[in-house]
Amino acid sequence: MATQTIGTSRRRNGVSAAAPARATTTTKVNGPRTFNIVAGIVLGVFAVLWLIPSAWAIKTSLVSNETASLGADAILRDTDPTLHSYATLLQSGQLWNWYLASFITSAGTVVLTVVFGSMAAYAISRLRFRGRQLVFVLILAGIMIPAQVLIVPIFQELEAVGLLNTYWSVIFPQVPAVIAVFIFKQFFDGLPREMEEAARIDGAGLWRTYWSVIMPLSRPVIAAVSILTFVSVWNNLILPLFVLSNPDLMTIPVGLATVQGSYGQRFADIQASAVLGALPLVVLYLLFQRRIVEGVTGSGIKG
Amino acid sequence: MTAQTLTPPAEATTQTRDRTVKLPDGKAAWLFLAPFGIFYVLFLIGPTLYMFVVSFFNTSIVQPGLGGFAGIANYAEMLTRADFWSAMWHTLQFTLYTVPPLVILAFVFAVLANRVQRGQWFFRLAFFVPFVLPSACISLIWVFLFTPATGLWPQFQSLLGFTQTAVLADPTWAMVGIAVATIWWTIGFNFVLYLAGLQDIPRELYEAAAVDGASPWHQIRYLTIPLLRRTTTLVILLQIIASLKIFDQVYLMTNGGPGISTQVALGLITGTAFTDYRVGAASAASVLLFIVIVVIAVIRQLFDRAEERKA
Amino acid sequence: MTTSPSGPRGWSRRSFLSGALAAGGLGAAGALSGCGSPLAAGIAGTPLNPGTVTFWNLFGGGDGARLQTMLDQYMAEHGGSSSLQAATFAWGNPYYTKVSLATLGDKPPDVAVAHLTRSQNLATAGLLQPITDDMLSLVGLSSTDFTPSVWENQQVDGTSYAIPLDTHPLVLFYNKQVCEQAGLLDGDGKLTPIAGIEQWEAALTAAKEVTGEYAVSYSNVADFATPWRVFQTFYQQHAGATPFLGDGGTELTVDEDAAMDTLAYIRRMSDQGWLPSAADYAGAQTLMFTGQSAFYLEGEWEITTAQAIEDLDFGMVTVPQLFDKPAVQADSHTFVLPAMERTPEQMELAMGFIKSMLDQSLTWAEGGHIPSYLPTLDSPEYAALTPQSDYASSADIAVYDAQAWYSGSGSTFENTVGAQIGLVQQQLATPEQAMAQIRSQLSVYLDTPSPL
Repeated sequence: MATQTIGTSRRRNGVSAAAPARATTTTKVNGPRTFNIVAGIVLGVFAVLWLIPSAWAIKTSLVSNETASLGADAILRDTDPTLHSYATLLQSGQLWNWYLASFITSAGTVVLTVVFGSMAAYAISRLRFRGRQLVFVLILAGIMIPAQVLIVPIFQELEAVGLLNTYWSVIFPQVPAVIAVFIFKQFFDGLPREMEEAARIDGAGLWRTYWSVIMPLSRPVIAAVSILTFVSVWNNLILPLFVLSNPDLMTIPVGLATVQGSYGQRFADIQASAVLGALPLVVLYLLFQRRIVEGVTGSGIKG
Repeated sequence: MTAQTLTPPAEATTQTRDRTVKLPDGKAAWLFLAPFGIFYVLFLIGPTLYMFVVSFFNTSIVQPGLGGFAGIANYAEMLTRADFWSAMWHTLQFTLYTVPPLVILAFVFAVLANRVQRGQWFFRLAFFVPFVLPSACISLIWVFLFTPATGLWPQFQSLLGFTQTAVLADPTWAMVGIAVATIWWTIGFNFVLYLAGLQDIPRELYEAAAVDGASPWHQIRYLTIPLLRRTTTLVILLQIIASLKIFDQVYLMTNGGPGISTQVALGLITGTAFTDYRVGAASAASVLLFIVIVVIAVIRQLFDRAEERKA
Repeated sequence: MTTSPSGPRGWSRRSFLSGALAAGGLGAAGALSGCGSPLAAGIAGTPLNPGTVTFWNLFGGGDGARLQTMLDQYMAEHGGSSSLQAATFAWGNPYYTKVSLATLGDKPPDVAVAHLTRSQNLATAGLLQPITDDMLSLVGLSSTDFTPSVWENQQVDGTSYAIPLDTHPLVLFYNKQVCEQAGLLDGDGKLTPIAGIEQWEAALTAAKEVTGEYAVSYSNVADFATPWRVFQTFYQQHAGATPFLGDGGTELTVDEDAAMDTLAYIRRMSDQGWLPSAADYAGAQTLMFTGQSAFYLEGEWEITTAQAIEDLDFGMVTVPQLFDKPAVQADSHTFVLPAMERTPEQMELAMGFIKSMLDQSLTWAEGGHIPSYLPTLDSPEYAALTPQSDYASSADIAVYDAQAWYSGSGSTFENTVGAQIGLVQQQLATPEQAMAQIRSQLSVYLDTPSPL
């Protein structure tokens, strides 16, 4: 029976052989050539269609605001690209504050999630203690809690301790990413025990074993979790939207959301801000395509 | 788009032998669990419990404390409020508009992509890159596309000789517009999932079928689709759960408008809490939505386990 | 003077936490990057931009551009762009939500714009700093510098929370070319005053003959505020008109007869073809700009848009009294100080900013608004402004929306009722149906205890 991918790549413990991501696989089908050619054309048409909205945004960002407000026709006919919108945005300083906020909150969450999540996973996977099953089940239950629906009580909690309008208010609620614990646990379960036993015999304590033996072996998983957490936090809107109200502290998505209301008819500027907001992640995608795709198929984390 | 998780398969039976043997790691284990556990309790369990409690009070965001006891008044209000049900309906509507295309189109694209020899990187780029973008970006892009009269879409309509539709300003079409933007945004995820699933199907099966005289259509219909049943069901359940949590695109593209014709559950909840200041009532609505989502998530878990045991 | 503002949850905890974090070494980050920087604020909760005035507003379009010139003036006088940081947010509920949450989150702007009807709610919620005579005198202001009715209206329980900038009523725009052809202008080229329904309908008939299309237009598509304003104006002109909501918003005290009469009249205007049944914001004004309608009902702020139309000769006048008494719907823009701890320097900076804006009231008035700042209102320069002077008397007959926690400009009340009024105009609902819908949709809010 053909195995299903999701189970398979999980059983590969996240160190997927990147088979799904490569162009050549074992299952290329050499059906009738015409069918394949037609398939290629149809798909090509859709792919081009799919590229249009982004291309349009980029094109618009390269015309002047006046041209952009004249309409699609004017934008299409424009042959004089200008970086004016980008200059305005990058010089205003506000965008840099947003990049800073996004970067700090994303990186901060990644660090805490990776460290704390792997620690918890290590305990569940490797350590023997009473209540282990119970803990595992409890954490499993957490996966079913839709965190977004908790925005109201989380807001109140953060307000009560005075953390609103700080980066922590964005970081803390996103640290308990149960899926990260699962991914690490899955991976740890598949690691051979010899190395740990060797380390224990050498007198290493649990922490050293965890930090110096297990974690270095876990680089691929750490990378996958890091990237996916980074993207997920970067793209989160609902939480920072309500806990960060000051424009100087906003993350990129929140800043862009307010741009829409406040830039008026400056269409070129608006599209340029969309491009600039997307840029870091597109770069991230181009650099880490494989890992991102692996992570998606292997663990199903969605931003 | 929402934070969404797939559950890893249920564990193979764990080593229960440990329990009867001495458990040396007890204290250390709790130390390892503590940091994550603290955040888990503070920001997942705690808020859930608090939400349940507050829903029984007339808590206000600008007043200290829990406010007056309301009993089930908040629930009664929500369940009898026309705009609560319309918000739930719009949430469902959004699900209906997006799930079939996201599943079917992604499947079609993946099947086609699997057949094409070269250029997979291009298709992946085209379909998947939107997926990594923040919702705010795609909203700016699509609101601009839909700008009445001067946007690319209305002008395209004119070009083809149709009357222009001000998509996001029209109660009939606004949700469609949001759905289209969402499909463009997130299809990459399903596309990649399906592609991976397809590439796991052994080539021999197709070759055997081809030898037997099966056309490509036949192969797809009788081989591919059945073999991907599990992926499909997973994708559908994932999409449904994600759609129930919809907030970003609606807030950004129409803010629930025109009027309240696209307002969804989370939009109503945050509006009640942060604009009307009524946290108690918002919590009641949150609890109701929470229950619906958890029920479906449980169904997904059960399904997942059943499939695991079968495979 | 550092006034301790009334805050909802106790301010000492917040300062303690900030202090603790700062003391705990995270202040090092602040030292590295500058104490007022976002980095420090985001990590340690330190104040943002202490030497700068932060100002939030909701003015887009023509108002936004006009405000910008005023802000530029302030910056020029106070040492450049580092003296002021202004942010504009989307009009209506999104703006007020942002201001409220920012205040709750201890990072509000120094000064914010608020509609008078909304400032009352913000004040009752404890989100605003009371404005005392001492604070006014810091910059040479006093309560007598403002139009008395407006100053009184902004108070809540006798305490002031808002410094009025303007009153912005609904006005009647008219296309002079069309009106001339319809014989509606007097010897000076201004609209002959219209008093009472007969004269109004005569004018509409004459106008429609000239335009061949409509006589009067106003927007009701994707716009709930305008239908409400028109309704409120004509409703309040009835002798028996009571406030729509009573007792702080727990009772529907609208006078049924007057309301039905008003809705029926709106329906009549659209039935007779004088009023288009459906028009969006831009469409409604374009009708008047291009001579397809003689009259246009909207807030006076559209003067900037109208002035930008070439070859358009237009005038503005107070909305005619069609019924028993003169009345016109209006709201006022005010400056408020969100509740937070302010040092004496910050207080001075904030008040100084407000004073600077008030001093530039004439610029603001050029955008159509009626100044509430008496030195400007009573000045010869303002009197010389036309067509502003033609409707300046609107301020005396202005009626504000009834006070309720869910009411005010851009509020849920306005959206709910305005939507139904728009449907009547679109001939999609009868007055009875509209009133029934209003009653049912508002019942949730009527029965809910105020969260303020």
